[in-house]
Amino acid sequence: MELIFNGIKQAFILIFTGDKEVWEIVFLTIKVSGIATIISMLLGIPVGFFTGLNQFHGKKILVSFINTGMGLPPVAAGLMVALLLWRSGPLGFMAIMYTPTAMVIAQILIATPLIAGITMAAVAQVNPKLKLMAVSLGAGRLSMSWLLFKEAKLPALSAIIAGFGGVISEVGAVMMVGGNIKGSTRVLTTSTVQMVRMGEIELAIAMVLILLFLTFLVNFILTIIQQQDKEKWQVKYWK
Amino acid sequence: MAGKILEIKDLKKRFSSDFLLDIKSLSINENEIFTLIGPNGSGKSTLIYLINLLMPADSGKIFFENEDILARKIDKPAVRKKMGVVFQEPLLFNTSVYNNLVMGLKLRSGNVEKYKNNLDFLIKKLRLKELLGRSPKTLSGGEKQKVSLARALLLNPRILLLDEPLANIDQATKDEFSETFFKILKEKGTTTLYITHDRNEAMAISDNIGVIDSGKIEQTGPREEVFRKPINEKVAKFVGVETLVSGIVVNSVNGVLEIKINDIKIFAVGKRDLNEKITISIRPEDVMLLSDVSEPEKLSTLNIFKGITTEIKDMGMFKKVEIDCGFALVAYITETSAKKFNLKKGSQIYAAIKATSVHLF
Repeated sequence: MELIFNGIKQAFILIFTGDKEVWEIVFLTIKVSGIATIISMLLGIPVGFFTGLNQFHGKKILVSFINTGMGLPPVAAGLMVALLLWRSGPLGFMAIMYTPTAMVIAQILIATPLIAGITMAAVAQVNPKLKLMAVSLGAGRLSMSWLLFKEAKLPALSAIIAGFGGVISEVGAVMMVGGNIKGSTRVLTTSTVQMVRMGEIELAIAMVLILLFLTFLVNFILTIIQQQDKEKWQVKYWK
Repeated sequence: MAGKILEIKDLKKRFSSDFLLDIKSLSINENEIFTLIGPNGSGKSTLIYLINLLMPADSGKIFFENEDILARKIDKPAVRKKMGVVFQEPLLFNTSVYNNLVMGLKLRSGNVEKYKNNLDFLIKKLRLKELLGRSPKTLSGGEKQKVSLARALLLNPRILLLDEPLANIDQATKDEFSETFFKILKEKGTTTLYITHDRNEAMAISDNIGVIDSGKIEQTGPREEVFRKPINEKVAKFVGVETLVSGIVVNSVNGVLEIKINDIKIFAVGKRDLNEKITISIRPEDVMLLSDVSEPEKLSTLNIFKGITTEIKDMGMFKKVEIDCGFALVAYITETSAKKFNLKKGSQIYAAIKATSVHLF
């Protein structure tokens, strides 16, 4: 019990005394997971939206790939990226193994199917007759897609929550392709593993608390946006 | 008389479940309310989807403003922009009621100001002002459908396609709202294809009526004609004719036929061959009930039957009386008349039916 209490105390000391190493780790964690989530959103939302909205040849195969990707073990994602980026691998010439870039790529591989899959489910929940109504009202393909996207945007935020949550808490892939190099690729999860191995349990607890706080903060903001369901609008109308 | 705005010829649409919509011919005149009535699953909604080009037809032609809109090179969005559609389910988007109202305008022309007068008119007539800032999620079913209908009307469509828009609204709201709505349609002269399975509503609001069953149009014509002179048993049943009996023509004098039904003889006006087997139909509102016929010569009615009431059902505004007079006859009478006659199950009663009210097919 004392260990936990000391860990919590240590966490606050580290955060509020502005420990340089800790803040570097926090910033790198936010940077890597943030960039990975944003890129995954840019890739996953259109794919999920298109797949959920349309019927096309090969849809079942694509959906199967997305669903498989949603359950992809992070170590498998890490291994795939490592094999590609390894010096002797097909992308070895880029020399980005053990860099934050490699970590971002691994996290994109984990988050994109999650975001695509949940977006797809969100779009599928929209009443299909709304599509007909939009077309009937005069919407072209683009405006119809935009209207339906707005209908699905709130449930689709769950996709971003899941994607960010999936990558910020992930350790296997980033360890494999990032290497947990101090001052370069060390993030909160890999740092926690390192501290436990070194017997620095108090520091490990501190890292986990910071990680939990970060995850909570991002999810809290996204949840507030998601739960905002306007019941009244200010309407500009001619008197 | 206004010209045809919509004409359908040999339109076919087959579904995997073997259901075939097969419309040989159907036309709708400008400024009229044409009501298509028929049971559930008869193909009414499919027809709306086909006319609005939301579904491809297998074959046939739909002429809208003299242009075949099923032609391959047709500009579908341009055709749709001339139409307004309201579905059975109020399909509103997750934005304010006002934004829903003007959504069609924005998508079609982007110019809301140009329709300001029309918008003001509809908001006032349909009492929508208090709803404008609200989310559709907070509206009742009736309010939602009111917004859907206003959204479609706001577009000043060349034809308004209404797919049972009042079917899911409670009766009180429906009664209050439908009167206002159809009055607006008449005032604006909006050509309307109205789909419903409510024959009373059809009778009240339509200029012309079509009856559809199992994908085929059974009869079309002015409402009185369809209701008074159904061409077959299917139509008769659907338009509320409850007395349908088979008989044989046994005599014909000056256009008045004598038809034998079991041991009863009934007179009707028409041309049929002797010994021809026919079916007669009598509308319940055409049957007059009498407590006494001591002086039948004072009545012009040729058909007077003595019978026993077998059932009396309260229908709200009136009573439905079933009488056994050698064949099963149904009549409608008011509550006042029922009280006056002290009508009960088993009462003896006379039924008088004019020969001109007996329809043959």
